[in-house]
Amino acid sequence: MDYRFQPHLNAMIQRETTVGRNMSKRGAEGFLLLGFLGIGLTLGLALLKAPSVSINAFQSPDAQRIFYWHVPAAWAAFIAFGFLFVGSAMWFFKRSKLGWRMHVAGAEAGLATGLMTVWSGMVWGAAEWGVPWDWTDVRLNTFGLLTFLALFLVLGRQSQPDGVETRDTFSTFGLYGFVLVPVTYVATRLWQIRHPGPVVGGGDGGSLAGEMAVILFIGAISFTIFIIGHILMSMRITSLEQRLERIQKTMDKV
Amino acid sequence: MLGQTMTEALLDLNNVTVRRGMKTVLSNLNLQVSSGQVILFNGTNGEGKSTIIETAAGLIPLESGSVMHHGKLLIDDAGRSNKPSRPFGLTLQADGCMGSQRIEEHLLTSMDFTGFRIEMDSILERYNLKHRKHDCIAQLSGGQRRKVAMIAGLLPGFISSDPLLIFLDEPDSGLDQASRTSLIEDIQYLRQKGHAMLIASHNNEFEQCATHQFNAEGMTETPRESTPEIVREHAPHQPSKTMIALRNGIVCNNRTMATLAFNGIAGFLTLGILLALVEPTKLDSGTIQRSGLILSSAFAAGLVGDSMVQMLHEHRSLAWWKAHRQGIPSSYFHGAVLGFALTLLTQLAMDMSVSWEVTIIGSFLTTSTMFIVRMFDLTSSRLARPRAAFTRILTPILILPFALLVQWITDSNLI
Repeated sequence: MDYRFQPHLNAMIQRETTVGRNMSKRGAEGFLLLGFLGIGLTLGLALLKAPSVSINAFQSPDAQRIFYWHVPAAWAAFIAFGFLFVGSAMWFFKRSKLGWRMHVAGAEAGLATGLMTVWSGMVWGAAEWGVPWDWTDVRLNTFGLLTFLALFLVLGRQSQPDGVETRDTFSTFGLYGFVLVPVTYVATRLWQIRHPGPVVGGGDGGSLAGEMAVILFIGAISFTIFIIGHILMSMRITSLEQRLERIQKTMDKV
Repeated sequence: MLGQTMTEALLDLNNVTVRRGMKTVLSNLNLQVSSGQVILFNGTNGEGKSTIIETAAGLIPLESGSVMHHGKLLIDDAGRSNKPSRPFGLTLQADGCMGSQRIEEHLLTSMDFTGFRIEMDSILERYNLKHRKHDCIAQLSGGQRRKVAMIAGLLPGFISSDPLLIFLDEPDSGLDQASRTSLIEDIQYLRQKGHAMLIASHNNEFEQCATHQFNAEGMTETPRESTPEIVREHAPHQPSKTMIALRNGIVCNNRTMATLAFNGIAGFLTLGILLALVEPTKLDSGTIQRSGLILSSAFAAGLVGDSMVQMLHEHRSLAWWKAHRQGIPSSYFHGAVLGFALTLLTQLAMDMSVSWEVTIIGSFLTTSTMFIVRMFDLTSSRLARPRAAFTRILTPILILPFALLVQWITDSNLI
């Protein structure tokens, strides 16, 4: 159908397309680009500049360089899961549209960084422990479950029509799932089976040599910038999807 | 305010706002219904007739406001949800009955919610269903199934001498003329008994028995002439049976063998594959591999979830059970038996001495795993497409406790 000769429809569509025009600013791309550059730099430093570790302390010293990817990715994942929790709570208790966008963005970013962490951990584990996964290690499993939760939320949202029922249900899962975050954090303190303890704030055993700490810090900053860009981009896409849906509904009424 | 304030309101919708999908269907609705009133919702499609009925039954979460039954809170916008102080009758638009149940079982369940039973034959005869009493609901035509759903909604009113609430959503849909006439007569009889009814229908015939009509223009009182008193005689009340949900779950499972078909096959397949791949005699006793092997089939059976949830999705039966808040049928009993049998069978197949402690743990493992997967399924039941929600992605949450249980059994030398 040609809508060019229906001024009232054009006006409605115009109104919808101008709503949230400020969302079309390109901040997200800037963060993502900067994040990618930082991550690339971290990888370069990890492979070329980071000091080698003792062959007495590690079964596979070369594989230890995965650490500079693995730990910042896990840090970024926790930021994303935190976002997911705050967004879920905002939707569930306040019916905040911003909260729902945060929920969606947190789930997508959590899935991306969660998979980065799990995958790199499995490669490192296979080299260091001889097995990629240990089903009895609490840290590995709770973090893996957080990633599965994010996968569930991302796939689930795509399978359902948008509505309060969908948002309520997935927010509930988001809120319940966040219980795993503190459990994951304290897991290596309470039940240290395979996964080592924390490298930052973990007491005597968790200190790092100066150069290693600097590269890890660059990695953490880079992944933080990347995750902010990812979340902003996701929120913008969700906002555009919602706008498209409103326009389609407006056109359905004609 | 669309309703009218009356003393002793049986139903009180107070400032209720409800959203479905992205649409606000009810906005700040106030409605009070008292004994002997029959409210007919006869608005156009999409006006929210079914939403009002389901909200009044406490099935839909509220954006604002509260729903009270007999002066006691049922649900409110803060998420509080209480068991109704008195039972009520409910006929959902989608029938709300499981195909695996027999007609008499579904109707007895509806009566059991009230605490008493009456002889149902005279009622079934009036709707030409007596000869089908022992048939499964799945064997009925759409119109016959509708009659069963409608009778289940009316039955609490026939039993109770105290005023009750009865919610009927499109009760006449698919009914023949004779059944519609009987239905209107039954509604008049229940009104004379003092029950309050909410009826959603486009059928003008209900104006004969309605005291009020409610649509987009508001509430109007229907002028009516006094109707002659209808006298019905029912056999004396018998006390109902207890543990309604558990009993229904066991009966349905016995009939369909659903737990054996769904959970059992997963357990037996796991056992078969493990025995084909692993030589049990080569596994040292007291190793984690041996303990894990013994419990794997019971665990796999539990991971399939509760087959009863699948049955409850039929004709929105789950919503009907949820509304009454007296439990939801489950397969826990059959799950426990299956877990016990699978663990025992695994030990015998591995040619080892049977540990009864581990066999009981296997039974518990299947039941508890089934319980958690069922929780995932029930949490997602409100979605528009609950079966497309991929809840099975969350089942790896169970592997860690399983692994820790296996480790504990190994360390405790139970095998």
